[in-house]
Amino acid sequence: MRIFKHPILDFPKKKVIHFQFDGVEFSGVEGDTIASALYANGIKKLSESVERHRARGLYCAIGNCSSCYMTVDHIPNIKTCVTPLSEGMIVESQIGKGVIR
Amino acid sequence: MNANIVIIGAGISGTAIAYYLAAKGMKDIVVVDKGYLTNGATGRCGAGIRQQWATKMNCIMAKKSVEFYEKANQTLKYPGDIEFKQEGYLIVAVTPEEDAQFSKNVELQNSLGIKSRKITKEEAKEIVPHINTDMFISATFCPTDGHINPFKANDAFYQAAKRLGVSFYFHEAVQSIQTVNHKVVSVTTDKHTFETNKVVNAAGGFAHEIGLMAGVPIPVYPEKHEILVTEPIEKIQGPMVMSFGKNLYCQQVPQGSFVMGRGTPGALHNHDIESSWEFLDEMAKTVVAFLPVVGELRVIRQWAGSYNMSPDRQPILGTVDECEGFYVACGFSGHGFMFAPITGLLLSEIILNQPTSIDMTELCMNRFKNQKTIEVEKSVV
Amino acid sequence: MTNKELIIVGGGPAGLAAAYTAAQTGCHVLLIDRNPQMGGQLIKQTHKFFGSEKQFAKTRGLNIAKKLISDVETCSDRIEIICDATVVGLYADQVVNVLHNEKYYKYHFDALIIATGAGEKMLAFENNDLPGIYGAGAVQTLMNLYGVLPGQNIVMVGSGNIGLIVSYQLIQAGVHVKALLEAAPKIGGYKVHASKLRRLGVDILTQTTIQRAIGNGCVNQIETIELDDSWKPIKGTEKLIDVDAVCIAVGLSPLYQLLAMGGAELKYVPELGGMVPIVDGLHQTTINNIFVAGDVAGVEEASSAIVEGYLSGLAAAAKIGYQQPDYQKSIADYQQQLKNLRSGPFGAKIRAGLKKVEAKTNA
Repeated sequence: MRIFKHPILDFPKKKVIHFQFDGVEFSGVEGDTIASALYANGIKKLSESVERHRARGLYCAIGNCSSCYMTVDHIPNIKTCVTPLSEGMIVESQIGKGVIR
Repeated sequence: MNANIVIIGAGISGTAIAYYLAAKGMKDIVVVDKGYLTNGATGRCGAGIRQQWATKMNCIMAKKSVEFYEKANQTLKYPGDIEFKQEGYLIVAVTPEEDAQFSKNVELQNSLGIKSRKITKEEAKEIVPHINTDMFISATFCPTDGHINPFKANDAFYQAAKRLGVSFYFHEAVQSIQTVNHKVVSVTTDKHTFETNKVVNAAGGFAHEIGLMAGVPIPVYPEKHEILVTEPIEKIQGPMVMSFGKNLYCQQVPQGSFVMGRGTPGALHNHDIESSWEFLDEMAKTVVAFLPVVGELRVIRQWAGSYNMSPDRQPILGTVDECEGFYVACGFSGHGFMFAPITGLLLSEIILNQPTSIDMTELCMNRFKNQKTIEVEKSVV
Repeated sequence: MTNKELIIVGGGPAGLAAAYTAAQTGCHVLLIDRNPQMGGQLIKQTHKFFGSEKQFAKTRGLNIAKKLISDVETCSDRIEIICDATVVGLYADQVVNVLHNEKYYKYHFDALIIATGAGEKMLAFENNDLPGIYGAGAVQTLMNLYGVLPGQNIVMVGSGNIGLIVSYQLIQAGVHVKALLEAAPKIGGYKVHASKLRRLGVDILTQTTIQRAIGNGCVNQIETIELDDSWKPIKGTEKLIDVDAVCIAVGLSPLYQLLAMGGAELKYVPELGGMVPIVDGLHQTTINNIFVAGDVAGVEEASSAIVEGYLSGLAAAAKIGYQQPDYQKSIADYQQQLKNLRSGPFGAKIRAGLKKVEAKTNA
């Protein structure tokens, strides 16, 4: 959910950016990271832990904790909390360790 | 304090020797280490297990060690798992000389019961589909070679030894070894003095210095070797891929990471174990040439450790002429981890005056006194 | 490999301040940050700072960041900036390895300032890995930087200044803060922040902690429990609270990993948040020409990070030949400012911690 009214900050309308998440079309805005765009769309589960398949979301949002790894444009282990969203990105929940091609 | 024996070094050679001695009933065994368990070369090694060697002694020791490791969880009653993954070593020949040598190696290995075989590039590609066949002429493959988790393996020996009554002293550095008439009488650390007439030098990279404390000049020196590990991914590679000519070993460990290393050309003979960026550069070039897809992975960590190099790249085991009661288990030249079970067994036999499981002529320190009998192991990275 | 005079790792308040004073001396600076933009945590802080004029008191954090960034931009001929780049290696021959756009780049430096800041601490409780449970920094990032709400009903854990301030920010953004939990018998942060929250109707529960989170794929309930005077949970005091987010504000620990790789001498100092480098009065570590500034040297406020940045920027530049005529005077001034910031009862912990890392150098 996005903030529209804030006593201190301005959140002006920004350019919409389209991306795909697990095969479904979503949109974020310019300036979003992949993770912020997903959270704005109400998606909090980004991946699963490797051994026990527990849901994984954002924890630190500054590229430090490795909780937000996803597969982006077929590259696994992308820190989505610090990776800017770009038009046409293919974002996938990373189940398991990720695959290289 | 009194001890029947003091073992210097709690790397896997030291813990394996302690385990075998204790299992055979020896009491008051002391193991001293200047750091913590597995802080030295054991915890820093590539942890590959291979039987494809060019010298008879190395082949025999490797084979016996593999047989031990296959049953180690049960034998050592280890509650965990040493993670012995036997998916083979693929060793590539990059020159006609290597190709010819490898045929001889396989013949020797087969004669000793090691199930290695010479294979073509095409066969190699079936085993490791992402290998670049332009980089080599032929290869050898032994399916029972593999990889073990070195922390778990050392922990297994350590726990078994402790259960059998061995005392371990960590963060305690040996400072001197006292001798009378060329016989060991005691070992002094920065915290204790142990009265003992038996000492084992299993000090890895520091084996030379420990030797000198007992007046024994051991012809070994430390040499830095570096390793890196990548992010984990789903399994794509079973075997270790290795090239002596191009200075490379690379494997994917069960957790998914690729662990790879190479020797440092021109490395100084000292205790430096600092990581270098030059290693990253050279390692990346080499591995990408052989296994291009690995270039897609990010490096998550790098480290270095000391090989303890001997003149013929074979270990130095057993008694020494210079000092009674001083035993050596060093000079493994980068292969102490994979030889640990046989090292433990042989040293226990020598220390307890039992007949040895293999002939020690080519392993004892005396061999260097007659240069002619030395056969240098060529199959090393 | 490219040669650089001064490399600064981290473009938060400390790194930006260091880049500015270093560039003022004529020194050429390469400033590297892991995030898409400069400013570190300041760019998400909407509250006004305390302290004196010199450290931008009464200014909102995000405006301080703007000021520091524009200062740096005035020296663009001497300061080169790379964002979205992570320094992943530090080597003995004064080389750093940087991961940027999936490629590695190597730089040789004459001097290095490590201003990597701090990372969030975690709290151990059942299901603490459920999505919807965030560090306080992450909540600020989502909300104030990207304009995304972390949830609608949240419980804050920890009543230090960060916990108190972020709770207030959450309310400003329209989030219902259902409770603020504090394991200690007393509130950790400034009373003025706590009173503001109380006036807004937030339940501040001392001697209470989170025992477990409940949810499938995302947190939707938590269980709290009260603690006795010896911090033991009191059975029977468990309470369930419906939430869709939990914010953990239990402190920060310095991001010291590069220093460890470089071989700088480190020490565990709980008062400073964890492992910190041994430093001299100019913030130089035990490695020649490697300096530190900000939270990596001990977790404090952004105001002290800024002053430390100014100081280490000058000191590092001077070390490699860019010494200003009034160098001694400026250094003394920054040292005095730091002393002032750390005075009073709230600075006691920091003073005790810093004594531990400085004692050794003076001995």
